[in-house]
Amino acid sequence: MNPRIPLAALAACALATSVAACGSSDDNSSSASTNSSSAGGSSVSATLNGAGSTFAAPIYQQVGSDLKGKGLTINYQGVGSGAGVSQFGAGTVDFAGSDPALADADKATIKKGTPVQIPFALGAITASYNLSGVKSGLKLDGATLAKIYLGKITSWDDAAIKSQNPDVQVPSTKITVVHRSDSSGTTKGFTQFLANYSPEWKSGPGVDKDIKWPVGTGAKGNDGVAAGVKQTDGAIGYVEQAYALQNGFTFADVKNKSGKYVAPTLESTSAAADGIDIPEDLGISTIDAPGATAYPIVSQTFAITYADPCKAGLDKNKAAGLKEMFTYLLGDGQDTIKKLSYAPIPDSLKTKDQAAVDAMQCNGAAIGS
Amino acid sequence: MATTSSPDVRRGGRSILERSPAARRADPLFRGILTGLAGLILVLIAFFFVFLINKAEPALSHQGVFSFLFTNDWNPSKAIYGAWPLVAGTLITAFIALLIGVPVAVAAALFITELAPRRVRGPLVILVELLAAVPSVVYGLWGFFVLIPKLKPAEQWFTDTFSFLPLVGGNVAGPNYFIAGLILAIMILPIVSAISREVISTVPADLKEASLALGATRWEMIRMAVLPYSRSGITGAAMLGLGRAIGETIAVTLVIGNSPVLGKQIFDQGYTLAAVIASEFGEAANDKVHAGALIAAGLVLFILTLLINAMARALVRRAENKGTKVKAVPGGLG
Amino acid sequence: MTALAQLTPRRRTTDRVMRVVLAIGTAIALIPLIAVIYYLLSKGLGAWSIDLFTKDPTGNFLGDQGGIKSALLGTIEMVALASAIAIPFGWGVALYLVEYGRKGRFASTVRYFVDVMTGVPSIVFGLFVYATLVLSGWGGSSFSGWKGSVALALLMLPVVTRSAEVVLLLVPDALREAALALGTPRWRVTLRVVLPTALPGLITGSLLAVARAAGETAPLLFTAAAVNGTTFNLGERMNSLPVQIYNDVQSPSDALVQRAWGSALALVTLILLTTLVARLASRRSRLS
Repeated sequence: MNPRIPLAALAACALATSVAACGSSDDNSSSASTNSSSAGGSSVSATLNGAGSTFAAPIYQQVGSDLKGKGLTINYQGVGSGAGVSQFGAGTVDFAGSDPALADADKATIKKGTPVQIPFALGAITASYNLSGVKSGLKLDGATLAKIYLGKITSWDDAAIKSQNPDVQVPSTKITVVHRSDSSGTTKGFTQFLANYSPEWKSGPGVDKDIKWPVGTGAKGNDGVAAGVKQTDGAIGYVEQAYALQNGFTFADVKNKSGKYVAPTLESTSAAADGIDIPEDLGISTIDAPGATAYPIVSQTFAITYADPCKAGLDKNKAAGLKEMFTYLLGDGQDTIKKLSYAPIPDSLKTKDQAAVDAMQCNGAAIGS
Repeated sequence: MATTSSPDVRRGGRSILERSPAARRADPLFRGILTGLAGLILVLIAFFFVFLINKAEPALSHQGVFSFLFTNDWNPSKAIYGAWPLVAGTLITAFIALLIGVPVAVAAALFITELAPRRVRGPLVILVELLAAVPSVVYGLWGFFVLIPKLKPAEQWFTDTFSFLPLVGGNVAGPNYFIAGLILAIMILPIVSAISREVISTVPADLKEASLALGATRWEMIRMAVLPYSRSGITGAAMLGLGRAIGETIAVTLVIGNSPVLGKQIFDQGYTLAAVIASEFGEAANDKVHAGALIAAGLVLFILTLLINAMARALVRRAENKGTKVKAVPGGLG
Repeated sequence: MTALAQLTPRRRTTDRVMRVVLAIGTAIALIPLIAVIYYLLSKGLGAWSIDLFTKDPTGNFLGDQGGIKSALLGTIEMVALASAIAIPFGWGVALYLVEYGRKGRFASTVRYFVDVMTGVPSIVFGLFVYATLVLSGWGGSSFSGWKGSVALALLMLPVVTRSAEVVLLLVPDALREAALALGTPRWRVTLRVVLPTALPGLITGSLLAVARAAGETAPLLFTAAAVNGTTFNLGERMNSLPVQIYNDVQSPSDALVQRAWGSALALVTLILLTTLVARLASRRSRLS
């Protein structure tokens, strides 16, 4: 057997693949041509890479499907709000999904350009439980949830739970707490709620995307927590409503600021946005909203990119693509959001958001598309 | 005229065996290329070291090397990088893996070499090596969906019954140190078994036959002739297994729970150096200190595995040099 | 003549018991294999369908989850490139060690470090490529398929080198000397005599390294990342089978979990086939 043949074949392979790789080392040039940009009437053709919140991941994935026919390919990885912001700052993704607004510390780490954050959806953080024989609607308040997560309440038939639910037969199963192991915006929202009702929680584990959990099993992403709750009888975990519904979870009615036990529904989630304060940089927070009918653990979610993507190093197509995606999120995307059981944002917020998106520029000039 | 004719070795004034100037350059060129490739390996490894140390520096100067290794507080959100829970977790799971895996692997090696009928030997060897064909992520998948739920009742029973033992007792978490150690034990079986087999088969036949001739039973022959002779080789095999166990990432991160708090008993959740890198690199993308801490963890792994493997290979080579057969190849051939 | 020691019943029992213990130990070693294969088949075969292999993962939260086409193709592409890098490199180093270096100090040092490199965990290689190539944004984009290939190549290199060296050592010196005696230049002896003789064994060793690289997840997590769509452009993010499985495992969706089992079965089948081809290749060897 001629030894040159396999060597030559290998060399040819190497040459061919390296030519293919070098030939399009930019993300957009060839991928643009593989997308059918004719249908849908849009002239933008780009691949956008994003990462971040698993809370909002279902939305990004569905929107990606929606916009594929229009020439936009959106690759989104749910890695947690913390990782998303980190990767955005490092320049490995074009946009980030984050549930909490960008803190000043976060903004300081984004050195390539000024970020713009657009809140575009609200979602309920359910307290989901896997308890045989107990239906949805178990009444729990913030103090009880805090005690469960502190490890002070260890079984489901504890007096604190029974007193809030006199008509429900709670079994004596041990409570298995499930929480996030990664840096999570959902965690920040949930812990913010706990801190508001438990001074012990506030001074102890505190409020952050990533805390030291006193008890419980850790899992990655909203999907990981959902999987954890699903696997263990007696488990309780905080998951975004879409995940709870997808898996047929039973979840609690939580006591809100006005003292009423509210179930997470489209109405109670939307009600959380009533009367909230909209700061200059659009960094709202809807946790523990004051409304009488509001579900108390509602989180907002932001899509974050650069106010001037081109100055930050992204090319024209990407900048246009980003503007198109964000416009969609605020427009037809709001219907998609509802289909996935998230609540759309109120009009007052929408106008401010749209203004910020319209103000996005490419190297100083408005982005025409 | 009857001269012995020598073949006409001259053509154009030059011996046909002589090479043209161009051809003469081919040999040194070829040799040079190959030497260059070999040298490139050394350059790569040196570069590895230098680069990893350089990138780990922000974390190590922030935390201090000693503090990094021995502080029991891994809290990236507060910029505290005490990796002791990770180091301990790595050691605990590796220890469990060795405890379970080495005896089983050596038993299998002994059985295959000394006791199994000739015809069964081949298939048995192939079967044990098939364990190595299963990739890490598949072991993780299987461990997560099959082992964890199936073993939980047994673990609960064990921890309730034997709670007087140290490191046992309390709540059984689904993913825990023990399951991680068990999966690692399964993963190191093929390599420990293969090397042990090679070492055991280098025991000189006369030694074994002498012992049998003196009336030893089969087991006694193994105990008195085979095992003492192959002791250092088997130790080497176990160390290679250890090296493999501490570096294993994906299977472990799926079944250990990824909790940065050091567990108090073997059925608690934990973390290892390798698992933390896989879990947290995403968050560390833009944080030089966090990224540095993860790279420092990688560096610790790198150095540990280098040392362990170096010692292991020395032991195995020494054991094999006692016999006269062709050397085995540690590392998966065969 | 000294009498042989009495074969007491106690000794006989010990012998029998230990034989059984060793047999049980062997059986215990095989139980996980049987268990894994059983579950792979029972849970994975159900997920196998034409759609699984011809559709990309959709990433949809609800509804159709698609298949694993991009993952399969991505693995093939990245492993192919990694092999194209690692195999010539590894064979070259092995040739140096056997033909030229032999027992010299430089060769011994290289041999030692190659040996020791086989034990480095795959995640360290991934981390290295992440820190050097991804974070610095080399080549335009951050995560790319070819960077994943580099990490895989680093992984394969020591294995290929070591196994190639063993095989090349088995080529009898007589062959080399005969060729040299006929006036063949050294380089030609290596390429035209040694290499062809050792080729089946070299291919075996290389294919085993390929099988190993195909199953690796950790290095690809932070070099090639993951995407849903199929791409033939190695300069972009690329999906791969192990990463796809890793992502699907952590999902609560039953459909995705089942897809994970199906993908795992596909991956193990791929690896076993490669290993089988490797063994068959070694049967054709004229050596040992």
